[in-house]
Amino acid sequence: MTTEKKKQLESSPENEPNLKGTLISVSVVGIFILVTWFGVFMLFLSR
Amino acid sequence: METATAPAKITNVFTNRGTKELSLPKNERRLVMSYMYVAFISLFIGGLMGLLQVLVRSGSFELPWGINYYTILTVHGVILGLVLTSFFIIGFQNALMGKTVGYSKKQLNWAWIGFAVMTIGMISAAITVLLGKANVLYTFYAPLQAHPVFYIGITLVVVGSWINAFVNFRQFYVWKKNHPDEKSPLLAFMVVINMLMWCIATIGVASAMLAQFIPWSLGYKNTINVLLSRTLFWYFGHPLVYFWLLPAYMAWYAIIPKIIGGKIFSDTLARFSFILFLFFSIPVGLHHQLTEPGLDSTWKFIQVILTFMVVIPSLMTAFSLFATFEITGRKKGYGGLFGWLKHLPWKDVRFLAPFIGMLAFIPGGAGGIVNASYQINTLVHNTIWVTGHFHLTAATTVILTFFGIAYWLIPHLTGRKLTKSVNRLGIIQTILWTVGMLIMSTSMHIQGLIGGPRRSDYSDYGGTAQAAEWGAYQMAQAVGGTILFIAIILMVYIFIKMVFFSPKGEEEFPIAQEEDHAEFTPKWTENWKLWISITIVLILFAYTVPVMDVIQNAPPGSAPFDWPIGNS
Repeated sequence: MTTEKKKQLESSPENEPNLKGTLISVSVVGIFILVTWFGVFMLFLSR
Repeated sequence: METATAPAKITNVFTNRGTKELSLPKNERRLVMSYMYVAFISLFIGGLMGLLQVLVRSGSFELPWGINYYTILTVHGVILGLVLTSFFIIGFQNALMGKTVGYSKKQLNWAWIGFAVMTIGMISAAITVLLGKANVLYTFYAPLQAHPVFYIGITLVVVGSWINAFVNFRQFYVWKKNHPDEKSPLLAFMVVINMLMWCIATIGVASAMLAQFIPWSLGYKNTINVLLSRTLFWYFGHPLVYFWLLPAYMAWYAIIPKIIGGKIFSDTLARFSFILFLFFSIPVGLHHQLTEPGLDSTWKFIQVILTFMVVIPSLMTAFSLFATFEITGRKKGYGGLFGWLKHLPWKDVRFLAPFIGMLAFIPGGAGGIVNASYQINTLVHNTIWVTGHFHLTAATTVILTFFGIAYWLIPHLTGRKLTKSVNRLGIIQTILWTVGMLIMSTSMHIQGLIGGPRRSDYSDYGGTAQAAEWGAYQMAQAVGGTILFIAIILMVYIFIKMVFFSPKGEEEFPIAQEEDHAEFTPKWTENWKLWISITIVLILFAYTVPVMDVIQNAPPGSAPFDWPIGNS
């Protein structure tokens, strides 16, 4: 196998692990942080 | 374990992967166990004090024999926040160093000296606190004044930890010298980062002790610059939080993957997140002083921004952990979007306890962002919200991870097995802790948002309507605290069982390895001069002007207050 082909194979999406669950999980964490922060911020504004 | 090494063609990366594991000889095991004994005795005493506190604050219990509420509050904070944590952490880190880079005889002797100095300091401080001569809480804010021995004792604990830190640095240095082209073991790298941060941070508390508290408490100085002492405390106090957290991260990054049958997600990512923690843990202490008069708001704001930088390595860690779980699950054949969750060893307490710790860090971290958000801080400052916050981060995330470590570390050190029955008890313990903390911490957060104060003894505040609103939450805290104390008794029982009664055997010291085809770690990750320089520059940038200001435009010094709390 030529080096060129090897490189192509290495960068092909098939070799990348499937991290869809991770993407959704970290997004949920991010949303939780934002909701908490804005919740307390609204409370701050209302007082 | 032997690790893969590829031909070294590229020079800017380390071409070795993973960690070669050493065995822990008997004398090293004994050293680590000595730390563990102190940690678990502290857990019991500190937990009992916590129980008394929540009972008193529920309004339905009074302390017997004239015991001062602030004595038990101080014991609780000092023994759990300073003693339990620092002894467990240094013991655990010593085990990691022994397992990855090893000890020479001389290094081990110095490590014992470090332990002795820490223990002498701890006992001296503990005596003054128990005698009611140091009711100054764990923050020992001036002008509350404690007995001089309290300050000298705490200073000795710090000095002992420094001795340990320098032993760790020396071990690492010698290993690097003997393996010049190899990447250092990940866990040893992490220990060095944590101890570097600790050494730089404790300069604050050590200088406050030597230049302010000790001469002032001995009567050589009549007054103290309160603002300076508080600023120096928080220069130390915030990185202290990360000193607790990073050993938990060590377990999450490099031990949990092994327990779940997986590999480290990315060695480089783990190292880089630790480097970022080194940068951004220290120049941020002013976010604990956002309501402090006498500090320029510009510098408070700058440190708020620096505080938010810590979000980056925290989220890197979250990503890395989810990815480890998902990749491992998918390799085992679990499909679907969240099918990989099924593979996780839910019935293995070595995993379950730290996992719940990880989950607790999501609301814990979110609450931390609220605390550090300058104006919003006014909503929660000095309320029991903050207590609820650090009972999620320190007393759940960190402590449950430490318990998770103890379930394999203690049997490994004592040459016994983690039995099925201990594992089952551990799971019950974890569930009790989770339920107790959920009740206690949630009610603390809510009570804080409606103005409930932290620290103070029970009072109905003259029967005001607002204080009446807090009653139900304080009762809930008593319920949660009681469940937590039952969990503590169970944990101490498990500890005793693992030390003395479990069947003899060899328990695994789980250290995760990298994937066989993992990308090589770049050499820049070990550019120590650069990392230390950036850390120092950031600290000088964030602190020079505010500290100069506090010294040059010092508020009038305060005479000591030793009554109603203090050295009374």
